[in-house]
Amino acid sequence: MITVHGLTKQYGTRTVVDDVSFTLEPGTVTGFLGPNGAGKSTTMRMMTGLVPATSGTALVGGRPYVELPNPGAVVGTLLDASAVHPGRTGRAHLQLLAAAAGVPAARADEVLALVGLADAARRRVGGYSLGMRQRLGIAGALLADPPVLVFDEPANGLDPEGIRWMRDLLRGHAARGGTVLLSSHLLGEVEHTVDRLLVIGGGRIVADGSVVSLLGAEGTAVRATSPAAFAAALEAAGFAVQQGDDGALVVPGADPAAVGAVAAAGGHVLVDLRPVERALEDLFFSLTA
Amino acid sequence: MTATLAPEHTVTTTVPTPARPAVRPGAASPAALVAIEVRKSLSTRSGRALAAASALLAPTAALVVSAASDGTLGSVTGPIGVMGMLTGLVLLALGVLSTAGEWTHRTVQTTFLLTPRRGRVLAAKAVAVALLGAAFAAVSTALSVGVLALMEQGIVWDGAGQAVAAAVGAGTAFAVIGAGTGAALTNTPAALTGLYLVILGALPVVRTFEPEIGSKLDPAEAVLALAQGDAVARSVLVVAAWTVVALVAGAVVTRRRAVA
Repeated sequence: MITVHGLTKQYGTRTVVDDVSFTLEPGTVTGFLGPNGAGKSTTMRMMTGLVPATSGTALVGGRPYVELPNPGAVVGTLLDASAVHPGRTGRAHLQLLAAAAGVPAARADEVLALVGLADAARRRVGGYSLGMRQRLGIAGALLADPPVLVFDEPANGLDPEGIRWMRDLLRGHAARGGTVLLSSHLLGEVEHTVDRLLVIGGGRIVADGSVVSLLGAEGTAVRATSPAAFAAALEAAGFAVQQGDDGALVVPGADPAAVGAVAAAGGHVLVDLRPVERALEDLFFSLTA
Repeated sequence: MTATLAPEHTVTTTVPTPARPAVRPGAASPAALVAIEVRKSLSTRSGRALAAASALLAPTAALVVSAASDGTLGSVTGPIGVMGMLTGLVLLALGVLSTAGEWTHRTVQTTFLLTPRRGRVLAAKAVAVALLGAAFAAVSTALSVGVLALMEQGIVWDGAGQAVAAAVGAGTAFAVIGAGTGAALTNTPAALTGLYLVILGALPVVRTFEPEIGSKLDPAEAVLALAQGDAVARSVLVVAAWTVVALVAGAVVTRRRAVA
């Protein structure tokens, strides 16, 4: 379990992380969301002892990260995929990390295969694409198969297949009882991966809750050949109706079956009927504006 | 882990969960950290090039000078001291790369993530470059001595043992001075430029105008004096002071600097 309490970082008079507190439980994937410069990376670096905190604490299993006897065995961290010597091969890089983390050198080849870089193992990292470096960074974090994963913007540079793979990896890790903290400034990247969202803006946590609780009520978007008549029918049936984009009607809180039933009862012709969620982006901007 | 990304953009999810790898429960031993740092220094082309240069540059220079010169060198101690100094200047760069190179390439991040006790990392780097410095300086000096023995007829070998010790010691110390300075400046170009400007530029000027002060500050002059058996105590003190100051400055910055 990771417990962050009152974590604050000030550079002179500028506060970049302000009294951030949260707890990460085993078996969960937590999305750490915020625009660039919101304080995500600084928080993660304070959690892992790379940046000294001005105040507050971050404990991993009850101990500060720097006091863990072998932190690589407990926390797999990916903060900056470009933090690799370009002159080393991917394999040499991972073998050095394996030695430092105290796992057999052969593990380097295992994790290279795991992230799909087996064919590039003997190539210098300087020739890797951003996506390959990102996968190399993930491979490094997985060397000791640690229970906690802390990834900062891991989807950067990954193609859609890679993002899906990472989603499976992180969900699988949590399903095995692992703890995952995953940051992103692109909400769509993490929306289907995380159980919980921590939203940070201006250095402060502005929202903390499950995806469902933060996204709010779902609804239904519907298009009819006669929108005005159908809107009247919906209102007569007790639904609130809003005018959506491009002539669509939005019925908050209603599921498509209920809206379809009103259409069937009144003989209305529908050309589109689909569930809608409150856009994550809308939530994000409303919280961090 | 449960998922595998196949190279051909085919995502497969494997059901079995492999057993966790054997993981060392505690921190890496000091010897293991030193071994890692030695491997780091020799795992890049720049590191290997510097290692080769440190072993071969001085004997090559000795060969060229001996072949081109008609005169006799007299004592062997002076040439061994000069060759040791040349090797030391190359090993200075090896030391700088071991510390400042990590900041420049930002690999210091993974280094400190896996070994958060930064003092242990710097100590391991200092020992690693000291070992490398001693080894390459020994090879370089042995080759230089071999060249002098073959090429220089009638050269006087008195004091050769002390000169060899001074050359190997200089290689060791200069590598550590480089590591300490690199850790203090956390920037490879700044550390290299600064060190070479001071040792090859500023201190010779000081020596020219204020020889007394220069001899108390200049590690190059100290190495040459040591090789020839002159002012031994003062020379050892000068090199030791450079080493200690560089390491202390490196330790202070390494301990405090945020890895942003």
